Amino acid sequence: MSLLRAQGLTAGYGPVTVLNAIDLEVNEGEIVVILGANGAGKTTTMRAVSGTIPRSGVVEFDGHDISRTSPDAIVRHGLAQVPQGRGTFPELSVEDNLRAGAITRRDGAGAVAADLQRWFEQFPRLAERRSQRAGSLSGGEQQMLAIARALMSRPKLLLCDEPSLGLAPLITKELFEVIERLNAQEGLSVLLVEQNANLAMHMASRVYLLETGRIVASGSAAELSADDTIRKAYLGF
Amino acid sequence: MTMPFTLRSGGAASWALRLVAGAVLVYVMFWIPTQASNGVIDTCITALTLMAAAMALNLLLGYTGQISIGHSAFFGIGAYTTGILVSRYGWSPFQTLAVAFVVAFVVGALVSLPALRIKGVYLALVTLSLGLVFPQLIKAPKMEWLTGGARGLDKTGFKFTKKNPTYEIFGWNPWGNLRGENVKPFLYWIAMIIVIIVYLACRGVVKSRAGRSLIAIRDNETAAAVMGVNLAVTKGLAFGLSAALCSLPGCLSAIRTGNVTPDSTNLTVLGAITFLIVMVVGGAGSLWGPIIGSALYVFVTDRTGDWSDKEAIPAVLRPFFGWSHTPPGSGIFAVVLIALMFVAPFGIVGMWHRVVRRFVKVVPRPAGTGTIDTPATAPAEA
Repeated sequence: MSLLRAQGLTAGYGPVTVLNAIDLEVNEGEIVVILGANGAGKTTTMRAVSGTIPRSGVVEFDGHDISRTSPDAIVRHGLAQVPQGRGTFPELSVEDNLRAGAITRRDGAGAVAADLQRWFEQFPRLAERRSQRAGSLSGGEQQMLAIARALMSRPKLLLCDEPSLGLAPLITKELFEVIERLNAQEGLSVLLVEQNANLAMHMASRVYLLETGRIVASGSAAELSADDTIRKAYLGF
Repeated sequence: MTMPFTLRSGGAASWALRLVAGAVLVYVMFWIPTQASNGVIDTCITALTLMAAAMALNLLLGYTGQISIGHSAFFGIGAYTTGILVSRYGWSPFQTLAVAFVVAFVVGALVSLPALRIKGVYLALVTLSLGLVFPQLIKAPKMEWLTGGARGLDKTGFKFTKKNPTYEIFGWNPWGNLRGENVKPFLYWIAMIIVIIVYLACRGVVKSRAGRSLIAIRDNETAAAVMGVNLAVTKGLAFGLSAALCSLPGCLSAIRTGNVTPDSTNLTVLGAITFLIVMVVGGAGSLWGPIIGSALYVFVTDRTGDWSDKEAIPAVLRPFFGWSHTPPGSGIFAVVLIALMFVAPFGIVGMWHRVVRRFVKVVPRPAGTGTIDTPATAPAEA
């Protein structure tokens, strides 16, 4: 069953239209990867889905029409976004950053504390630094924090905008392992934007190829890597 | 680096320190109205007024990151609500506090509307215009029937007469006769209670889920929105609450002086800037910053209040300030501000934290339910 479905999604900034009526689907339990060059509209797609920029077209999430819903209400429906760059709150401690992720929850302090505990176990490095200012963490740790914080809202779908940005290859690999593990163990659906095609293809259930605001190809990772022209143009092997 | 002292947050030593600090604070709080001279009490009331206003502004600027140079208007709303209701309609001053709170909250929430679209310098200009317009609005001829125009209002405080010489709390009279100068300790306690209310309100907000949303908005607005913080509502509430809390010291000023005029300092933009400066000097975004900044500001201006007379200046300082014909208090404070921004950009409280951290290692309380005592070190596999 499809969890997220966008039809004719169009978005941009002021007079500039970046996304041109794209169709997109994420099924439950899938990791869907959006590939594309700089300026293809990957980040804009994320923002349009999470409602942080004006958009038109139909976006349905978990049976709700969220085309006209505000970002905070979208989070309440169970869609969490890890913004591009290190979208942490630098002046809050690691723990308070995580608590900020639970702002939408109304199931009591006990449940939030239990989740806090759980993510500290999943990300031991955050546990070690839980009372430090988030701004003092390394890039990789901040990215982990941003992901853990998004998970604190107990999302059904996680949007990850270029988590590998500015990270060492080893850290990126570790990060992707975490995402895969969450997908396998918790059944978390993930919509991931990446430039690092090789890495992302490995874990993708399905891939969309974005070019200047249009989807030019889609299919399973195997199908796309089998297509010679696509492989040469986008994957570089 | 090894620290000479270690302090476990929530441990016995930390509680002992808090207890001692609290005891000293309470002692001073009671010493001032009972032992100090009327002059000192009066200065303390001035300081308390400034503290409440600066704390209210801190909630908005220090925590939510929304600049306001128009908080004098909210202060003025408090002063005029009390003034009008007491002098024209014969209310008891205490009843007017609640009305002022509500009126200022509504106005503050309305002012938050432009803040949803604009930021930084532009928001500063919008709030600045609010601060500039307020005294003019009060003085407008068409408002004179209500506000008394440029002359202002009088008889806005308590009226203690021979027949009714005191204020009893459910029949209990801790004050004695409140006529004349005897009224100072009574006003002091009103000021102190307002400061405590504002402090507790700020603390309650800051240490809660709401406070984390405010700081989240300050640190990264987009990330806050995608975490589920409703920007419009949260900013509106922050503006409203900050304005409402700022109106309380305004009410106090009307009660204290017994008159309200549109040109008194705290009601003009100069007042708003004073709130801003004492907050920044003390430490924006910290609960005690505005309190310390206000105390320091009032101390400096009070000590230098008669320095327009050359003879009053201590001999050592005379070459520096002798040329001035006005009290140099604000000037000195301005220099302090510039120097402080250079050596301690996070104000006095920030500087204090930095110094303390050199000598004392503070061990934080365990996270969440407190079930982690030693952080897990092994990476979680499975």
